[in-house]
Amino acid sequence: MAYLTVVDGVKQFVGFRALNGVSISVEQGEFFTLLGPSGCGKTTLLRAIAGFNDLTSGTITLAGKDLRSVPPHQRDIGMVFQDYAVFPHLSVFDNVAFGLKPRKVPQAEIKTRVAEALDAVHLGALAERLPAAMSGGQQQRIGLARAMVINPRLLLMDEPLSNLDAKLRIELREEIRDIQKRVDIATIYVTHDQEEALAISDRICVMSAGQIEQIGTPQEIYGDPQTLFVANFVGTLNTLDTGPNLERMLGQLSLRAPNADTWTIRPESLRLVGEGEGAGPDHAALEGTVAKFTYLGREAHVLVKTDVGELVVQLGAAELKTLRSPGDRVFVLVPRDALMAFDADTKRIKLED
Amino acid sequence: MTRRFDFWSLVSIATWAILLLLLIIPVGSVLLSSFIDRSGNTTIANYLAFMSEPRYQRAFVNTLIVGFGGLFGAMLLGSIMAFCISRFQIKGSRFVSLLAILALVSPPFIGAYSWIVLFGAGGVVRAWAKEIGITMPPIYGVGGILIVFALKFYPFVYLMVSGALSNVNRSLEEAAEGLGLTPLQRTFKISFPLVLPALTAGGLLALIQSIADFGTPRLLGRGFNVLATEAYALYSAEIGSNMSMATTISMVLIFVSMAFVMIQRFMSRRNVYHGNMINKPVKIQLKGWRNWLAHFAVYFIGLCGAMPVIISIIYSFRKTSGPVFQEGFALQSYERIMFNLGDVVRNSLTFSAIAVALIVIAGTIIGVLVARRTNLNTSLLDGAFMIPYVMPGIVIGIAYIAAFNTGPIVLTGTAAIIILSIFIRRLPYTVRTTSTALRQISPSLEEAAISLGYSPFQAFLRVTVPLIVPGIIAGAMLSFVTAINELSSSLVLYVGSTITMPVRIYLLILDGDFGTAAAMSTILLVLSGIAVYIAFRLMGRNEQALL
Ligand SMILES: Nc1ncnc2c1ncn2[C@@H]1O[C@H](COP(=O)(O)OP(=O)(O)OP(=O)(O)O)[C@@H](O)[C@H]1O
Ligand SMILES: [Mg+2]
Repeated sequence: MAYLTVVDGVKQFVGFRALNGVSISVEQGEFFTLLGPSGCGKTTLLRAIAGFNDLTSGTITLAGKDLRSVPPHQRDIGMVFQDYAVFPHLSVFDNVAFGLKPRKVPQAEIKTRVAEALDAVHLGALAERLPAAMSGGQQQRIGLARAMVINPRLLLMDEPLSNLDAKLRIELREEIRDIQKRVDIATIYVTHDQEEALAISDRICVMSAGQIEQIGTPQEIYGDPQTLFVANFVGTLNTLDTGPNLERMLGQLSLRAPNADTWTIRPESLRLVGEGEGAGPDHAALEGTVAKFTYLGREAHVLVKTDVGELVVQLGAAELKTLRSPGDRVFVLVPRDALMAFDADTKRIKLED
Repeated sequence: MTRRFDFWSLVSIATWAILLLLLIIPVGSVLLSSFIDRSGNTTIANYLAFMSEPRYQRAFVNTLIVGFGGLFGAMLLGSIMAFCISRFQIKGSRFVSLLAILALVSPPFIGAYSWIVLFGAGGVVRAWAKEIGITMPPIYGVGGILIVFALKFYPFVYLMVSGALSNVNRSLEEAAEGLGLTPLQRTFKISFPLVLPALTAGGLLALIQSIADFGTPRLLGRGFNVLATEAYALYSAEIGSNMSMATTISMVLIFVSMAFVMIQRFMSRRNVYHGNMINKPVKIQLKGWRNWLAHFAVYFIGLCGAMPVIISIIYSFRKTSGPVFQEGFALQSYERIMFNLGDVVRNSLTFSAIAVALIVIAGTIIGVLVARRTNLNTSLLDGAFMIPYVMPGIVIGIAYIAAFNTGPIVLTGTAAIIILSIFIRRLPYTVRTTSTALRQISPSLEEAAISLGYSPFQAFLRVTVPLIVPGIIAGAMLSFVTAINELSSSLVLYVGSTITMPVRIYLLILDGDFGTAAAMSTILLVLSGIAVYIAFRLMGRNEQALL
């Protein structure tokens, strides 16, 4: 049995169902990420596990024992809050040491452990300061150090990096990842930043409107999305216009899926080619004209008007030498195995080879 | 949340019990008493008498006159001062603010009397003026009352409006400037609507205080009667004391005050602007005569408002023989207080201290209840707490007599009745400040402590309490200022052994012993000053908190 499990978790607020039958299981030492748009219930699930907001129904177990009957302060679950929740009347040091006191850690050990934790989040120099005047990012790191220093049985992080600048965010997410692997604490991490989720997680759970869309490794989530929502939310997606033109292209590639409602493809799977290049049984070439060219430094996005709709094509560094300008006639190469089909329920349809 | 019977249910019941005993029953008794005639029959004769007798009609009209007069006077002086201080560079503006605070915490009645000393029939200033050939009328009558009210209550408007003015985002005015509005148009179209809620709130305080004040009309009125003086006269008349008429007038006073609170609420119902203060207004350095004028206005208002305090401090050190002042200075007045009136000072200190202790304990617990348990019950509580806020002190006094003179609980003549009357008047303030402070503390702070292993109660104690304690102590100090200066309800409730300092000052002034009254006022002022100082130390110099 998994280390932490939530089975059929339901949370009903007055007039609003924030969690609608959520089941997850997290392994010992695993880095598990909840990913989803704002308001989908990530915080609600986290708070249910922490015990601040009990579920309406469902079970939660930690290490095989029922968690819902344990009062929150005895759960030994560290939490990093979305709004920092740094104690304004305590110094940075005392904030971090706060959780060690009820654990009866000897004074000398408190000193070393707090110092270590502060160094890990790059706050060692500010230990004696009061947090009131500190920046959001610094406060967030205090919260992080405070939750990790107690070596909890489970670590919950609610968007701990949301207020940092891009550089620090990448630096700290590596740091979090390293520390987590080192101390081997099962961690549930909440974010709505897909790149962050992909970079940091062992497994990702994509949520939408109080429900789980898909749970899987970053590769599975990105490369093999099981619902249209996941495919759309993680990465970018071209949706092809249905109609005779699409049917013709699918015929060329001898793809048949009678239930298919939506056909999609990722921009990075598409390539721009010259006339007559590359087409065959595994690739279809679509003729089109460039509508827009967006240069992004490492890559570029070309919007191409074709007879199956406007398609974004992502060009890698190698292809960036040729500039495209609106009005250019181009051919878009569509690989057969990169097409994804979804049924009317937005579920992924498996395509035969 | 499952509904259980816990500590908070108990608090909720206790709160309603307090309200029932100290508010609902007294007000109910007043209401009841106003419908009963002298032989004990139910009647509306009192209200008919109120409407038909010219004396009461005049008192009613006069009350409105002094109310609106006080309102406009305070608004005029207060907004001039607020505008000058928050928009122009004024030298010594902190000193001017201090003068306003001085006027605000000055002991009641002493103001009116000091003005008599200066401008009364034998007034010092009038005598000087006569020597150089100017005759001015004495300050008695409605004009004098309005001057005193304007100068005593302008700090309400000043503090409210200057708070709001310094919060008007300058970007708004700059935007208006960009749209081509002249400075005058900007002031009226942008700044004025933004500070209007503060202006009406400050004005309302001045209005309610003017209506409730009865010492000033009594000392200066010379036949100019208002409802408060009528109620007191009816209640305290040696022969033919007419309790049911006094309670009728009390009811009218309550309704008048309530009506004005409602009107003010209605006027500012949509006008809550939350500025995010990115662009603070800057103060302009005026030049030439404008600069002189601004300084003159500010210092003139400030010094006139603080004049009674200054006069009474000076007079408290003057040599006297009996009640008559002599040339030179001495400590006689203070000696008289030390040897003869020590128990009065002691009464005031103990009553206020006990009342404040009760207010802090009950107010904090109820404040937590209101902030943390939001339901119908707590919003009802919030509403009920509005009532003592608008009750004139004299009405509270009469209500407590009506409720606790006979019947199951007899409290008249005890210290308890004075303490409780102070308690109920100031409790709403503490409840409100506590619940506001708590609502500003994010609940995730306590949750963080819980997740770190503290029980909910421990978390409350170690995280929330340290955060609200400075505010609570500061609030307690300000409650102490109100408690120790409270006069009108104590005047109705006191007996020989429970005389407090403000009551004694009032009696001394009626006896013509201004030296001792001045010395006692000075002591009162020093005590208030210490409390205000402690409060400001704890929460920063926050003058708005005095309101
Ligand atoms: N106490 C509450 N009462 C009613 N509705 C609530 C309550 N708390 C949360 N909700 C609703 O539940 C939904 C999920 O909220 P939650 O805070 O879990 O979202 P989230 O996924 O964490 O979003 P974000 O990324 O913005 O933090 C939201 O629509 C929210 O409005
Ligand atoms: Mg959230």
